[in-house]
Amino acid sequence: MAKIMIDPITRIEGHLRVEVEVAGGKVVNAWTSGQMFRGIELILQGRDPRDAPLFCQRT
Amino acid sequence: MNQESDFYQRLSEKGISRRDFMKYCGFLTATMGLSSSFVPRVAEVFAAPKQRPPVIWLHFGECTGCSEAILRTMYPWIDELVLEILSIEYHETIFAAAGRQMEDNLHAAVKKYAGKYICIVEGAIATKYDGAYGKVAGRTFLEIAQDVCPKAAAVIAIGACAAYGGIQAAAPNPGGYKGVGDALGIKPVNIPGCPYNPVNLVGTIVNYLLLGKLPELDDIGRPLFAYGQTIHDQCPRRGHYENDEFVEEFGSKEAKLGYCLYKLGCKGPDTYNNCPIAKFNDGTSWPIEAGHPCIGCSEPGFWDKMTPFFGQKS
Repeated sequence: MAKIMIDPITRIEGHLRVEVEVAGGKVVNAWTSGQMFRGIELILQGRDPRDAPLFCQRT
Repeated sequence: MNQESDFYQRLSEKGISRRDFMKYCGFLTATMGLSSSFVPRVAEVFAAPKQRPPVIWLHFGECTGCSEAILRTMYPWIDELVLEILSIEYHETIFAAAGRQMEDNLHAAVKKYAGKYICIVEGAIATKYDGAYGKVAGRTFLEIAQDVCPKAAAVIAIGACAAYGGIQAAAPNPGGYKGVGDALGIKPVNIPGCPYNPVNLVGTIVNYLLLGKLPELDDIGRPLFAYGQTIHDQCPRRGHYENDEFVEEFGSKEAKLGYCLYKLGCKGPDTYNNCPIAKFNDGTSWPIEAGHPCIGCSEPGFWDKMTPFFGQKS
């Protein structure tokens, strides 16, 4: 079974990694994962709600 | 083949007149703080480039808004001009290659142009757990930066994130994110802003191509031509501030009259940038002109130091 890994995926925003398992010319399993964690939700906790849209625009 | 007439031919095919182009060069020259006698030389940097420096553009912890800023929102053709005077060797968002092919480009460029390339960094670098919060092709942002940045002729950190850590470095900074200078212990050219104004990056690069050196910087690495004065000191609403004419509520009569936004929480007095002069979107407008108080996005740590963004100041 062959495994193909593509990292980075380009022409998108963010850092995406895709892994694909191929058997007999067919995809039998696949995984995608975002390769970055920033924690915007954690950062938003306890802040003035009016600031929230300005934070969330930057994701 | 005449490089220069060829260039104007290509411009006119895109519907851009020589006059439009010279207008842009005049605007750029003024932004850079050079006298108008430099305009023809600035034009020549684009029209007949003597060199095309290789550029490695790295993306770390960010939203790609800074790439968008230069690719979309300014003069619609400025991206093409920039791509014509630079030889972009690596850029995750615009490259057709992906995966190993993409990484091979990076390694080959770092090796081939060692000591000669310009490294533009967009985004902050995670440092917690050895940088495990962010990776590209199995290497952490920190490892990539430690490999690529020291071999560059110049490192330019664009946007609030690459310059000073940006939004992901706001408290409690879950990933231990830092700006490029802090994370690596180097002194890059910082072009902060959220997003930065593309004209300031173009100005820095043209300065480098035209005069063979990077522009003069302030004590936190920002080019003085762009970050030498506060927003407040250049603000077209400054007169209202002096006259005690303030907006106290969004949508009010005072807001319609274009009064000073200081009492709504404007951070203009504490923020160094050239927004009132350079503006955004083809010189169309900028936050205060549109009636929104400045949030101080070109200052270090503004997500903590300048928040809450809105609120009455007495």
